[in-house]
Amino acid sequence: MSSAAVLPSRPRSRRRRFPVGSAVAVVILSLGGIGMIAPFLWMIVTALKSPEHLFDVPPNWIPLEFEWDNFWKAVNGPLPLLRNLFNSTFIAVVGTLGILITAPMAGYAFARLQFRGQNAIFLGLLASLMVPVQVTIIPLFLIMRNLGVINTPWSLILPALTWAFGVFLMRQFFLTVPKEILEAARIDGAGPWKTYRLVALPLVKNGLSALGVIAFLNNPYLWNAYFAPSIFLNSQDTATLPLALVLMQGPFSTGQMNVVMAATTLAVLPALIVFLVAQRWIIASLTQSGVKG
Amino acid sequence: MADLITRDATSQTFRAGRARPARKGPGRREAIAGYLFVAPSVLGFLVFVLGPLLAALWFSFTRYDVISPPTFIGLDNYVRLFRDERLGLVYFNTIIYVIAAVVLINGLGLLFAVLINARMPRALTYVFRSVYFFPSLVALAYISLIWQALFQRDTGVINYYLEVIGADPVNWLNSSSQSRLSVIIVDVWRNVGFAMLIYVAALQEVPKELEEAAQIDGAGPFTQFRRITVPMISQAIFFNVTITVIGAFQIYESIIVLTKGGPGDSTRSIVMYIAEKAFADFDLGYAAAISMTLFAIILLVTIVQFRIRRAWVHYE
Repeated sequence: MSSAAVLPSRPRSRRRRFPVGSAVAVVILSLGGIGMIAPFLWMIVTALKSPEHLFDVPPNWIPLEFEWDNFWKAVNGPLPLLRNLFNSTFIAVVGTLGILITAPMAGYAFARLQFRGQNAIFLGLLASLMVPVQVTIIPLFLIMRNLGVINTPWSLILPALTWAFGVFLMRQFFLTVPKEILEAARIDGAGPWKTYRLVALPLVKNGLSALGVIAFLNNPYLWNAYFAPSIFLNSQDTATLPLALVLMQGPFSTGQMNVVMAATTLAVLPALIVFLVAQRWIIASLTQSGVKG
Repeated sequence: MADLITRDATSQTFRAGRARPARKGPGRREAIAGYLFVAPSVLGFLVFVLGPLLAALWFSFTRYDVISPPTFIGLDNYVRLFRDERLGLVYFNTIIYVIAAVVLINGLGLLFAVLINARMPRALTYVFRSVYFFPSLVALAYISLIWQALFQRDTGVINYYLEVIGADPVNWLNSSSQSRLSVIIVDVWRNVGFAMLIYVAALQEVPKELEEAAQIDGAGPFTQFRRITVPMISQAIFFNVTITVIGAFQIYESIIVLTKGGPGDSTRSIVMYIAEKAFADFDLGYAAAISMTLFAIILLVTIVQFRIRRAWVHYE
């Protein structure tokens, strides 16, 4: 099953026009690749600069000085960045755990259980992917206010606990689990919950990893989110990291761009680590959802 | 996001459902388990999606300022939409973002995917794929902070290199004619890798025999691409187009960081306008009416795409 979740590794194209076409492709992709890396490189180099050399011309792309102090200044600046980092982490971790419980259950039910109305319910859930949070933000704000959770992490965690995209993704993974295995568990006397928990769930571990990473990063209330947090959170102490960094841009003048970039470097780092560790799962499951349907 | 897939996914379910009459219907126990398993997700959907959607629809027919309860005013908010000149400009900006995103992200994404699919060492493929895809995982807010610095008129790196090659410096962030371009560049730069990834996977599914057969029949590379490759990856194209459309309608924090919507309203997006009307002016009824127009447009675009897709997409 695990191999099904990994990018198809077909033998490469058998076309014979090898050198010219490929060389052109490599050249164009390299130029584009430089364009993709340069902004991050600039961020790191700037984060290590002293104020005097901020606007050196021509711009240098290799760090010539190492002002580690900038990171210290960023963390001890006008904004409680460590606190904001904690807020972001707490919200994203709890929200992701919620999704990791609710989405596989529903995905399994839609893929491998039979009950009246399941197609209609599934369609309804999927349709909610067409309703961005921006459309419903006013009632959502009022709901959170009535629940008394405005300006707390729970205003973001509660709506993040269930996620239609996660249900869809997990349904795709459970469709790869052979029915016979589940049938065998049933005949052995396992109830639906046991069959799910002890037989089906362990077979989609890759799917769970992918779901975890994708939910953490892409759920509209969690790690990378900006819009909903900017509406629900309204103080420096409760702000998430993206909110805090954007706020930071204000009090810092352009002369302190190095400090802002030090903070941005710290903020980008977790995504980079997650990417290096998990890119196989992410890439595999995202492409699967787009190509195979 | 995944609505494009819906059709397939559900028709599959329907088919599976129909093909199974031999078995004596679902067991009672299994059905109960089914409902319990989907209950949390359905509850979340009702409370945080469907409920708020209906509530927003109701608010759009009222005057509401949070302090006093909403009063029904019929279609007044919707009539007001047509007289709101700012709304016209804001929608104009947003539609430019959407069109640019669809064309550039998909055009470049497909181009890069075709190039990556060319014959080259596997390690290179891997590196290119990672490098292009990585920005899609970084918060748009952070990416916008970096680009905001790069776009600076006098101290920015981009204008420096423009001057090096002899071009005039561009007023990236403070010009009513050019700043939209900055928003577009950031959006395309962040999302092109994701589109590319989907296209790479789709291209690998195209049977090589088909291309070879076309080649033997004398089709040139472009005819081959247009007549065989594009139809074979049509499902990925629709998936990507839907995602870019829905994503571009939501562009928000990049504008806040880059231009704050200015100068004037020249870069302001529809989402910024909704937030301003609702949470700065406390004109919640009117803001709800605007958000309903956004929903209607997304719905319409999705339906139109399904229609085209039904007529056009190739199924194996």
